[in-house]
Amino acid sequence: MILVAFALTALTAIILVALSRTHGQMNAAAVGQALVFDVLAFYILFFVQVPVDTFVVGSGYFFIDHLGLLEVLVATFIFVLAAVYARGYVGNLLISHELEAGSLKLFYAAWCLLELVIVLAFFSDNLALFWIFAEMTTIISAMLVAILSAKENIDAALKYIFVASVAMIFAFVGLIFLYEITRSALGTGTLNWTVLMANASALPPTMMAAAFLFVFIGFAAKSGIFPFHTWLPEAHAKAPSAVSAVLSGVLLNVGIYGIIRVFAIAHRTAAAAIVVPVILIFGIFTIAIAAFSMLPEKNLKKLVAFSSIENMGLMLTGIAVATPLAIFWVLVQVIAHALTKASLFFSAGILHRQYRNHLSADAPDDIHDVFRFQPLAAWGIVLGGLAIIGMPPFLAFFSKFFILLSLGLISPWVLALVLVLLFIAASAFGYFVIRTFGRTTPPGEPCEPVPYHTPLSMKAPIVILLALVLALGLMFPAGGYAFITQIVTELGFS
Amino acid sequence: MSDPAIFDGIIKVLFVSVIVTSAYIITTRNLISLVRVYALQSLTLVAIALSLAWYENAGILLAIALITLVFKVIVIPYFIATVQEKIRITRDIEFHFLSPASSLLISLALMIVVYITLSRIMPPMPAGGSLFFFGAVIGISLVMMGMMVTFSRKKAITKVLGYLSMENGVLLFGLFATELPFIIEFLIVIDLVILILLTTILTVGIDSTLEEYHNRLHRFYLWEEQEDAP
Repeated sequence: MILVAFALTALTAIILVALSRTHGQMNAAAVGQALVFDVLAFYILFFVQVPVDTFVVGSGYFFIDHLGLLEVLVATFIFVLAAVYARGYVGNLLISHELEAGSLKLFYAAWCLLELVIVLAFFSDNLALFWIFAEMTTIISAMLVAILSAKENIDAALKYIFVASVAMIFAFVGLIFLYEITRSALGTGTLNWTVLMANASALPPTMMAAAFLFVFIGFAAKSGIFPFHTWLPEAHAKAPSAVSAVLSGVLLNVGIYGIIRVFAIAHRTAAAAIVVPVILIFGIFTIAIAAFSMLPEKNLKKLVAFSSIENMGLMLTGIAVATPLAIFWVLVQVIAHALTKASLFFSAGILHRQYRNHLSADAPDDIHDVFRFQPLAAWGIVLGGLAIIGMPPFLAFFSKFFILLSLGLISPWVLALVLVLLFIAASAFGYFVIRTFGRTTPPGEPCEPVPYHTPLSMKAPIVILLALVLALGLMFPAGGYAFITQIVTELGFS
Repeated sequence: MSDPAIFDGIIKVLFVSVIVTSAYIITTRNLISLVRVYALQSLTLVAIALSLAWYENAGILLAIALITLVFKVIVIPYFIATVQEKIRITRDIEFHFLSPASSLLISLALMIVVYITLSRIMPPMPAGGSLFFFGAVIGISLVMMGMMVTFSRKKAITKVLGYLSMENGVLLFGLFATELPFIIEFLIVIDLVILILLTTILTVGIDSTLEEYHNRLHRFYLWEEQEDAP
């Protein structure tokens, strides 16, 4: 029943967007939808006995378990803040004619639809259905990237669609494999995750490994894993910042979520022996590529985007360890990364408004006097940067620490390698901040840009997110531990 | 009423025509014939699905054939052809890394690799299953060849056709490897249609109206300068 409530809310919001005339009204509809979604997610958390499996369609197409619920909680929360942020940000895009007023309705309609599709993806039991929703998130978010009236955005969006969709085709081939495996092993073919988990031990390992590797290609592209990460920096850097936050904080999770789900099945078979080294290697390569790309990066949003790739790589190495401890902290890392990265993109968006480059989104940002013009955004970048590279007492410190610790249990050499790479990424971040934020105009010289007046709607989300990441780092709620432990049990890792 | 020998012959002929069409998609430079060949390839898939339906007496295959016919033979090619007329590009002569001849050679090699790999991992088929095995091989090869088109051509609209050809490969693979529930197949086609609509519209922005885009950008920079000036 609750899925119908989600769908109806989204439908109402889209109708309201279609009817409204001003940007304020459309934004209110989007914020309203996000709030209702968040309330619904919390309602499920507190009042519904999870896992729930049969409703709406009756057959097992949808279900709610703890992992899906966790992802939905994170996603809807980020959507609320991103929608609030969009009020000031998109309003400014309209004033500067970077977004045409005619595209505004399309933007918000796509926004509302995207949130619904993401929630449905996380609540899909059937893997093929999940694939379809994941593919739709690519299409809709590519639309949100392309909506700015610049050719570069269309370029980035097309690259995003082609790389992600082509890889997702392979994922579908993998799913067909999986279906055929279950048909020969169980008698009737199924792609329902719950059934697959229950009968995983009956599946033949070689075929299972092949199926997993195909599926992995697709979801790796969705989450920006090397070598399919090429679309990510472009799309994240050129999208409007409110969209970048969603792309990085929510959409990358869709890919990782898919990998976790299918890996949980493969882990129960003998296929794990083939699969684990592969994803470990991909994870390490991803961190390496991201770290070395971050070093020379001069564009703030691209830097933050590469940092996302690095974090995805780290999560992948954590998944490869596959001990209950590692999986637990990978899930915490999912939360920490989503919240921190959203706040970083929000801050970067303010700086982008202040110092926007008129020539090209590829050009380095001309940032100077940042603490005078935009003190909050500057501190947002500094603190958010510290949080994302894993400084205590932010939440990411604990998740990164324990993921590294469990890596060390596999092999100290892997641990050393990953640690060095993480250090390079962290120093790239620090180098960027010191180099650009230190730039000041000497007193007396004319100071060019007029300070951009940042509305409260753009400031508040940054403060809320950073405060939350800090609070969670200082005192992770006991209920949260129990909740995530429950997920690890449901995934069959304990 | 289904005679295995006739069925065998029909399917083999259809396989050959699928391979010929995909070879044509890899090598041709003429965009209009590219779309026509894509429609022809989809029509071949419809024929394969129909003969399978006749052989196995499966109603679901009829339904798959029907949606393939409607969307992939009629709607999508028609839409792309209309867009092509609007943007007035007829030839995509730029190949990124590969010349047509070498792409053909590579696709041959790919087919052999796929054959060997699949014969290792697929379980031994029951008697008369070799045809199904070949179907799976050709399906995956089609996916690979489509991917080559997507990455070796420069124009976005040709990339779209490469993607569509990949999707046809998945359909073929799905037809022979297993039978997915119909609702999934249907949703995938809907997904595909939305994807094609969006990419083709974006293509209009990127492939053709470059002048118009530049004009718009110019106007928009002028505006900004005026705004910043006072």
